[in-house]
Amino acid sequence: MNTFLAALFSGTSRGAIFALVALGLVIVWRGAGIVNFAQMGQAMFSTYIASTLITNGNSYWVGFFVALFAGAAMGALLDILVMRPLSNKKKTELLSSDSMRAAVPVIASLGILGALQALAGILWAAEERGFPAPAKQEGFTFGSNVMPFTAFDLFVISLVALTLVITTLFFKKTGIGLAMRATALNQEVAKLSGIRTNRTRTLSWAISGAASSLAGLLITPTSNLSPNTLDLVLIVGFTAAVVGGLDSPAGAVLGGFILGMVISFVTFYDTPEDVFLSILAVLLLVLLIRPRGILGSKDVRRV
Amino acid sequence: MLKIENLVTKFGSVVALDGVSMTAHESKITTVIGANGAGKSTLLRTISGLEHPAQGAITWQGESIVGRRPEDIVRLGIAHVPEGHAVISELSVEENISMGSLFRRRKFKSDIAKAMDEMYQLFPRLQERRKQLAGTLSGGERQMLAISRALVSRPQLLLLDEPSLGLAPLVVEQIIDSVNTLCRTTGLTVLLVEQNANTALGVADHGVLLALGKVVADRPAAELKADENLRAAYLGY
Repeated sequence: MNTFLAALFSGTSRGAIFALVALGLVIVWRGAGIVNFAQMGQAMFSTYIASTLITNGNSYWVGFFVALFAGAAMGALLDILVMRPLSNKKKTELLSSDSMRAAVPVIASLGILGALQALAGILWAAEERGFPAPAKQEGFTFGSNVMPFTAFDLFVISLVALTLVITTLFFKKTGIGLAMRATALNQEVAKLSGIRTNRTRTLSWAISGAASSLAGLLITPTSNLSPNTLDLVLIVGFTAAVVGGLDSPAGAVLGGFILGMVISFVTFYDTPEDVFLSILAVLLLVLLIRPRGILGSKDVRRV
Repeated sequence: MLKIENLVTKFGSVVALDGVSMTAHESKITTVIGANGAGKSTLLRTISGLEHPAQGAITWQGESIVGRRPEDIVRLGIAHVPEGHAVISELSVEENISMGSLFRRRKFKSDIAKAMDEMYQLFPRLQERRKQLAGTLSGGERQMLAISRALVSRPQLLLLDEPSLGLAPLVVEQIIDSVNTLCRTTGLTVLLVEQNANTALGVADHGVLLALGKVVADRPAAELKADENLRAAYLGY
């Protein structure tokens, strides 16, 4: 029973983080039609910024908010400096097909991931370092029993829940949110409605950058921080997004929690070595039964 | 007044508009008719900034609008309803309409609710379906929605591309009637592109006949409608 609860709690808290990563990927996919592989590179970089601030005597929260802001700024800059020029029809005229044109920004994002990791290695050395948690990482005690659930888990879950609620309200209830959804769904009609689609797209990159930086801040207390630690998180987050449906924010969250649970239960009941196998099994199963993802819409482009 | 002079638009080596000159007069309905592939849609898409002309001038109220972005052109009072009932199926009816007024929400905040109400008065069926997704609407309702999305921005010029496409005659009549009434009562200028020449010429003040990207005739609508030779030669009936 205790093992079951432990797996459940750990799955929820990990799942919350994967949900955040998947959500970041989905927001950019919907807004710009690009799978951004640099996303966790950006998150790693902003977590390093937070780490530097905190080790230099600033409070956790200064580091926390500066990292979120840095993540948003990095996302926006990435769009303005790299992705927007690369998506420009005139400049990519030489490429013969639309699918080649669509591949250009994705390849660029891989390049940026490499560049960010190299730069982080130069700036902060490549060895692992710890990252502080703002809440206790020992299990709650109940009488003489140590529960498999920590204050930090609670912090992670409530922060992610809050983020999901705010993001949902933002997309559903505000004018900018409507403009972003319209741009994602039909650029031509959005433009004709007077929506400045370039700006809304940049905003998707910024929101996605902030969300993934939050994921970085929440996962590094348990995984440590190095230029490459978040690679695995990206892979799981991407799988979660595909499982849930790459164009569905709700699907991303669902996919994140499913994978969190799978990883956690395999770790507790089987061995950690089988984690990757199980992720692949889930991915394969979903792609075989429902290629568009659990909540994905019908006409998803092939990735 | 919208004035177009010697407009040329190309897609690669294909010339879609080949030196088109025409005028849409204020508070009048001007219709552009012609067979499939005559360049009618391209003309509207070039005006609204979706396509860039290779040469020529487009002047709107004395100002050149060539080279501006669609999102800026709509701010100048030109609203475009593109071909094929262009609404966003995944958004609700209300969201589709309100999308068209987003850019006005800073300067004209108090007017937005009023403008939306006017759309529901114009097309009461949309009000009944306010919360429904646009994808669940019938073809006619979708066209009404696309027109509302454009009108809610309070344009002075409405570019309407084939509103009759795929719709039953009765529905077409209803939509054309609404647009006609709007033009006559509010002074809206309309540039109506149609393949269905009879319907269009029946309601328009002025008619322009396009063939293979060139203007073949530019006359009062009634006169154009009566010219059987032109009709036989270019429209095939």
